[in-house]
Amino acid sequence: MSDEPIILIRDLHKSYGATPVLRGCSLSVRRGEVVVVCGPSGSGKSTLIKCINGLERYQSGSIRLEGIEVGAKGTNLPKLRARVGMVFQHFELYPHMSVTDNIALAQVHVLKRTRVAAQERAHELLARVGLEDKADAMPADLSGGQQQRVAIARALALDPQAILFDEPTSALDPEMIHEVLQVMTELATDGMTMVVVTHEMGFARRVADRIVFMDTGEIVEDAPSEEFFSAPKTKRAADFLSKILEH
Amino acid sequence: MPDVIVKNLPFLLHGLTLTLDLSVWSIMLGTLLGLVVGTVRFVRLPLLNTLALVYVEFIRGTPLLVVLFITYFALPALLGYRTTGYRAAIFGFVLFIGAYLAEDFRSGLRAVRPTLIQAGLATGLTRWQVLRLIILPQAIRRVLPSLFNQYVRLIKFTSVASVIGVTELTGAGLLVNAREFHPVTILAAIAIVYLVVCSALSLAGRALYAHFAVRT
Amino acid sequence: MNYHFDWTPIWAARGLIVEGLLMTIAVSAVSLAFSTVIGLVVGGAATAGSRAVRGLALLFTEMMRNIPLLIHMYIWYMALAFLRLPAFSCAVLGLSLYSGAYVAEVVRAGIGAVGRGQMQSALATGLTRFQAMRYIVYPQALRMIAPSLASLFSQLIKDSSLASVIAVGELTYQAGAIDGQTFRTFEVYITISLIYLVLVTAASQLVLLIPGSRSDLAAGRFADA
Repeated sequence: MSDEPIILIRDLHKSYGATPVLRGCSLSVRRGEVVVVCGPSGSGKSTLIKCINGLERYQSGSIRLEGIEVGAKGTNLPKLRARVGMVFQHFELYPHMSVTDNIALAQVHVLKRTRVAAQERAHELLARVGLEDKADAMPADLSGGQQQRVAIARALALDPQAILFDEPTSALDPEMIHEVLQVMTELATDGMTMVVVTHEMGFARRVADRIVFMDTGEIVEDAPSEEFFSAPKTKRAADFLSKILEH
Repeated sequence: MPDVIVKNLPFLLHGLTLTLDLSVWSIMLGTLLGLVVGTVRFVRLPLLNTLALVYVEFIRGTPLLVVLFITYFALPALLGYRTTGYRAAIFGFVLFIGAYLAEDFRSGLRAVRPTLIQAGLATGLTRWQVLRLIILPQAIRRVLPSLFNQYVRLIKFTSVASVIGVTELTGAGLLVNAREFHPVTILAAIAIVYLVVCSALSLAGRALYAHFAVRT
Repeated sequence: MNYHFDWTPIWAARGLIVEGLLMTIAVSAVSLAFSTVIGLVVGGAATAGSRAVRGLALLFTEMMRNIPLLIHMYIWYMALAFLRLPAFSCAVLGLSLYSGAYVAEVVRAGIGAVGRGQMQSALATGLTRFQAMRYIVYPQALRMIAPSLASLFSQLIKDSSLASVIAVGELTYQAGAIDGQTFRTFEVYITISLIYLVLVTAASQLVLLIPGSRSDLAAGRFADA
């Protein structure tokens, strides 16, 4: 693990119109770390990670991704985004393309790989997530869990430095959550830097290095995984944990 | 087949081919225009968007016949050029259908989920790449039924070209009638031809849509 | 461009323009009334129990829609000339049958959208089919087609321009007459275009008069008949 944080967020403020959504958030993620972001709905978790790759703009504060300021005027966002993958709650596979083409698209158009090379890599990644037999299927033919695994393969296709996960299992039927979490666990074991917004506390406990707890736009607690689960420092975090672990 | 039709069959058939000719050209050029204008409206390019808006709103609020009178009478008078009925008809039809298709394309583009667009952006594609590779293919599939509706509508509308002297099917039929005085037979025949052509195209459109529909 | 603009003859001919405008509104309004009735009847028939009735309704709709409006008008004016109908009536008949078929489609879809469950629960309380249609299904279907009526009216206003071809003195006809008198071709056609634009916009806003309809539907266009 290098010492320079790959993601460095400092005092981030964001509002939708007059409504503040992020109030002075600061977070740093080192290479190889797995950070889980949790908290009640509306706490700003998804907004926070969408700010990291510039999908959401922020009003003040700083986000440095591999040393580059995300919100700066001259920043080449597409180039930056190719370095960081993202997995969405609703999978968001391109419905008009096959699974292989979904994974190959950005490789061809962003990394300028040849179609053949891109497709080969796509097959490799599909094998890695356990879906090599679905190479020619269309997204609509796949179950939710399968679609999300393809989405993870798609994120991996650009050999990213980190992957952001926005509630990756929240839209899945219970029996499919496991297969996706398993892929994510393997990624973590292989050393991928990950920021995961999720409610899956079991996963967080087993896999995360750090837990970040957010509430109403603020980062309330940011602690190593073991510490957070055994002895949360703030009352809000403790309340949240008790509610969610009961479930 | 009734005598009056048989006697004038070549002339009427020529009218039919002219109808199809007008339709095909207007559909092709109109679709291109509609796609460009619709995309301009969707992306909201600064000056072009306003021009596109004015164009679309003006045409959509104007009857086709008036549009044809403008392309056949008013514009040539204004700009001092001469034109034939055929050229004015194509020009008018392209402008007309282009505006309606532009709106169809625009709503198809807007119907693409923002999170899908974000997914494309998240992989490092530029906005234009996302538009070209992800948004447009989906939007086009989604608007296919509306497009076909407009195409069938256009074929019916080619009959209006007869008013500016184009001898497509309706125009040809009217000329034959002027000579032979058999309005019932002639109009019935023309009506049947339009019926068959339009129904066939509608069916084709439905089949095409079923094949290409994007299951999301 | 050597064209000399001169709008004064247009202003001088405003009497004719007003005549044309009133005739356009007359043709459109009467056709609107007839189209709605035809549409309600045929649309209702299209969801009837009997396959024969449904088939007839479908046949009617397909035929009326796929024959160009101009041909409709010519048929009444020329083919059925023995009826000696005045041009106004020919125009209205043509427009009403053509547009009525489109309204029928909307009504059919609206009734379908109301859902069989509604009809079934109505029947279960002892209402006859007719009563169920009248008190339960139709009112709901009407609420759905109400926004379409405004855009139907706009569409009729535009389509009424074809009546000029069978010598009905509406707006487009008068424009031709004014052009013939004044030779101000560009000015006269741009003027009536703008008048149509205003008429059409006003007509589509009329939906706001219907209580309970949403203003965002005013922007919707009717099947673009």
